[in-house]
Amino acid sequence: MSHRSSRLLRRLLLAAPPVIVTSILMSSPALAATGLSPLLPNAVSPNGHRLYELYLLISIPAIGVFVLVEALLLTIVIRDRRRRQRPGYVPPQWHGNTRLEIAWTIAPALILVLIGYLSFAELQRDFQHPSDSVTDLDISVQGHQFGWTYTYPDNVQVTSEGLGAADRPLVVPTGKLVRLKLSSVDVIHGFWVPELMGKTDLVPGYDNYTWFEVPQPGEWRGECTELCGAGHSTMQLRVKAVTPDEYSDWLAQQKAKAATPSPSASASPSPSPSGSPSASPSGSPSPGGSPSPSPSGSARPSPSPSS
Amino acid sequence: MATLAPPRPKSYDDSFFKPISLWLTTTDHKLIGIMYMVTGVLAFVIGGIFALVVRLQLTTPNAKVVDAETYNQLVSAHGTTMIFFFVTIFMTGIANYIVPLMVGARDMAFPRVNLLGFWMIPVSILIYYMGFFTGGALNAGWTGYPPLTSKQFNPGLGVDLWALSLIVWAISGIMASTNFLTTIIALRAPGLKLTRLPLFVWAQISTSILLLIVGAPLAAALILVEFDRQFGTNFFTTQGRPVLYQHLFWFFGHPEVYIMILPGFGMISEIIPVFAKKPIFGYGSMVGALFGIVFLSMAVWAHHMFTVGMNIYVETFFMIMTMLIAVPTGIKFFNWIATAWRGSVEFSLPMKFAFGFMATFLIGGITGVYLSSVPVDTQLHQSYYVVAHLHYVLFGGSVMTIFAGIYYWFPKITGRKLNETLGEWHFWTVFVGFNATFLVMHTLGLEGMPRRIATYPGGFGEEGWGATNVFITIASFLVALSVLIFLINLVTSWRSGEIAGDDPWEANTLEWATSSPPPPYNFDRVPPVRSFMPLRDLRAERRAGGEPDPEPAPTTA
Repeated sequence: MSHRSSRLLRRLLLAAPPVIVTSILMSSPALAATGLSPLLPNAVSPNGHRLYELYLLISIPAIGVFVLVEALLLTIVIRDRRRRQRPGYVPPQWHGNTRLEIAWTIAPALILVLIGYLSFAELQRDFQHPSDSVTDLDISVQGHQFGWTYTYPDNVQVTSEGLGAADRPLVVPTGKLVRLKLSSVDVIHGFWVPELMGKTDLVPGYDNYTWFEVPQPGEWRGECTELCGAGHSTMQLRVKAVTPDEYSDWLAQQKAKAATPSPSASASPSPSPSGSPSASPSGSPSPGGSPSPSPSGSARPSPSPSS
Repeated sequence: MATLAPPRPKSYDDSFFKPISLWLTTTDHKLIGIMYMVTGVLAFVIGGIFALVVRLQLTTPNAKVVDAETYNQLVSAHGTTMIFFFVTIFMTGIANYIVPLMVGARDMAFPRVNLLGFWMIPVSILIYYMGFFTGGALNAGWTGYPPLTSKQFNPGLGVDLWALSLIVWAISGIMASTNFLTTIIALRAPGLKLTRLPLFVWAQISTSILLLIVGAPLAAALILVEFDRQFGTNFFTTQGRPVLYQHLFWFFGHPEVYIMILPGFGMISEIIPVFAKKPIFGYGSMVGALFGIVFLSMAVWAHHMFTVGMNIYVETFFMIMTMLIAVPTGIKFFNWIATAWRGSVEFSLPMKFAFGFMATFLIGGITGVYLSSVPVDTQLHQSYYVVAHLHYVLFGGSVMTIFAGIYYWFPKITGRKLNETLGEWHFWTVFVGFNATFLVMHTLGLEGMPRRIATYPGGFGEEGWGATNVFITIASFLVALSVLIFLINLVTSWRSGEIAGDDPWEANTLEWATSSPPPPYNFDRVPPVRSFMPLRDLRAERRAGGEPDPEPAPTTA
């Protein structure tokens, strides 16, 4: 079998370059705008960007295995057809080959251990709860059917309902490590802004954390990723990054609005604008105040969680 | 001897149109097997119609084919129907028909349990669909995560009917598994040692063990859901631990994936040696790989939950286990390739589907490795990438093997072959249609389109999804066309297909030793078993002329 294996190897080496070249070409950003991206979103936040790099790394053995196995299958389809063989051909009656079988047990295992190691390194790096010392800003994100309530320091609250997310983005300063505390008051929701970082669930009963750091101003879309009821697809999400100066102005403006509630205010009134510096209201939902499901996808009044 | 007799397709009533009383009361594993398979195919058609409505709704942004509530019910019903009522049920049916024949038994070990177990399935299906007529079926996805399924957020009957339906289903599955294991252990023909069992029977052993272990946790999880709903307990409600349900559900749910694919692996392991005229490569490692999968599949469930906020070391454990499951699957793949390698390969329809299966399932396996990596999964989870991946595994995997199995065993079951021309059309339309539908679907997930959204608004940067979705919808109708061709082929060939004979493929295993279709008692005489390919031995002896020496039957069997 050894001469066959070496022929195989040669075939693989011949097949690999075109595939790799094609995959690099495919990664051109032009495709991304057409809905045909073969690659993970190349996120702007450093943690999201490292997911993209890990995805590329995994693709190297993945494409190799794909090409190898499909080439073997095609070889059989083309070469070993009965039609193409001389009549009376009796195929070799192999029952097995221990060395080969061990080889194709060990080789995939090694590749997988390598992928596992790379993934674990990334987990340790970016999926630990970021410490207070590196965190620049804490924002609490609370999910409800079908929108989000963002609570900034000094209890400034902004509530975005359903498709209104475009007007009520989660505003963050650029160049700062923003730590999000995620919780839910009713069912499970998912917080996902693909161009920033991976998703994290908002589960009633406990808090989850995620973080990102946006280098440049801009706006990014996202939406709820955990089926949460009839209005699930309307539960849109937007993140808007502005310069730190603009951010402080915006925050002051929201605070002023909260102090003098007006019906047309773009932010929900906060119950205690000059209250404690604690960034988050109580994360545990109160049973009596749990909202009832909204049968239509229309926006509902904010549940206005209070501290 | 039965195998020497000329084809006698009419000696046994092979028509589907038997008296109703016979269908209702038969304990014959073959008739029960046919009923399981027909139930499965009907569910396939119903689940397929749900899928087409879903596809129409997603074709364009802000489409209004169905409203969001109906959409949620349809995606839930599509998933439940395909997983519980089609693939698992069809696999049980084909094993019900074939396993007793393969081990040379007259029937299953517990024929009346078999009868009861089967009739619980239509009951289970009807209970689920009753939801549509009582104010709305389950609308929380086939996984039914609480608290969305708690009384507070879901007051209707749909969730209760779903839970009851799956509890009945799980009990039926436990009955069938017990029956298979007992049949295989206790009723084997003389000489059929465990080391000579056909790999399809080994696959059925591993599947049955899995379902025995994980069926009860599923029922338990759903009973707790009902406790929450009916008696006001707080297991999974907003005040409880919703994630506990996910652990229980996926402890069933992930092995269920293997319950749906292992019998398919078994079929492929039967088909490739027959059509390549070679013995299976690495019989021992094939059996070992099956049990490796059984073991690992019960230690990977939390990879469905990488975004719920688990400790990273727990996540790493599940990630490594998930990656390792690719190893036994890889062993099977390379053994299949080695089996066909340098063979005398005849691409009859079963072999075409077997190769179609390998070519597509491979992609599902590779995308599975991306998904198993926790960091990457946080981007891919709950997106259309996952939808594409799971359809590559379940459609490109299980359903392709089901097609392969049907083309392979239809002659045994009906005495007639399926039409070749229609079969070619079926293969190429399903192969092209399936890949066109789901290969492109990966890119939607990578573009950020979440699964289970009733529509997408456009104007948020989702414009690019529109064209892709149009393409996918068109391709999905090609798959529907292929299924239509297949159904026409089934019906017309059953009535008037070419007479097949007892052993049309020159196969290796015992079911081909009896007539097609087999008589109610299965075998006039079970041929001697001296290897895992008794029929091939028989043909060789017949060619050599001499009557074989009867080998004393080992009593250890």
